[in-house]
Amino acid sequence: MSRDEAASYTDLMPSGKARRFTYEMEANSVIVRPSGGQQLDGRGFHEISGLAWSGRGKIARVDISADAGRTWRDAELQGPVHSKALTRFRAPWVWSGEEVQLQSRATDETGYVQPTRDALIAIRGMTQGPDGFNHYHGIKPWKVDRDGRVTHV
Amino acid sequence: MFKWRTIIAASCIATAAGAADDASGRLGIGHVATIHEIAASDLTVFPDGAGLPDGKGTAIAGAAVYATHCAACHGDKGQGLADFPALVGGRGTLATGKPLLTVGSYWPYATTIFDYIRRAMPYQSAGELSADNVYALTAWILAQNNIIKTSTVIDRKTLPKVAMPNKDGFVPDPRPDIPSTH
Repeated sequence: MSRDEAASYTDLMPSGKARRFTYEMEANSVIVRPSGGQQLDGRGFHEISGLAWSGRGKIARVDISADAGRTWRDAELQGPVHSKALTRFRAPWVWSGEEVQLQSRATDETGYVQPTRDALIAIRGMTQGPDGFNHYHGIKPWKVDRDGRVTHV
Repeated sequence: MFKWRTIIAASCIATAAGAADDASGRLGIGHVATIHEIAASDLTVFPDGAGLPDGKGTAIAGAAVYATHCAACHGDKGQGLADFPALVGGRGTLATGKPLLTVGSYWPYATTIFDYIRRAMPYQSAGELSADNVYALTAWILAQNNIIKTSTVIDRKTLPKVAMPNKDGFVPDPRPDIPSTH
């Protein structure tokens, strides 16, 4: 067993037991625009865009929420969509000027749906392995404040 | 395009069969790896000890090697410094929420220590240590973690038999484990 098999491809659980040979990253996505550190230039039309990927095959679908995960709608995937490959998505969005929270949620071809951060840490905890938290794939929300500043939630 | 693929595929088959064993072969690119070149890259050590070379060492001998090659980054007792990880300690901390994950507290196989030192350490000059010195350093780290005695001779026979404290601390990957729906 190599050092990386012992450290990078294991995930320590709250029980003190560690999962081993954890190779795949499950369905994952992140909104790249707008994202943390960016500044919206005003209310009105914006295109949300980002990247989705899965270690278990092709991305089948990405949903976007502009209300902290209460309601969702389909984003458009940009081809070509390949297995285990970064897949671009985009969705039109009109910003009202109010504070909002943007989220993306990927589904891969196995039907697996990217979970919320809360659902993930409820089972796996927040304990880091030797190389950090190796398989975090929870939904990554961005807050847009009334001044258009985008920050991590 | 199709023709080129055919030619490349054919040359790969020829190489695999040992037909292109000199630089005057059809493409004239590269050469068949020598036994010494393969040996220099063939570094994997398995949990049962397969891949371990001849040589031996003890923690007593390893103390001097450690002081010369390792202590500057990992600390004089293996406690770790700044961004360089601790090699010692942490037993009993894995379920506390603030675990100290070291070779001693976390790694399931002692053979991995030899594999990694030989492959990757010292950081600035990997590959310079003799097999005896790598065995001695492996012994020093194990002794510093109170897993073996400082006089224990570590070699290709004894290293795979060292029982690591966390050898039963791993479970198969159970994913997908998180319920999620649209």
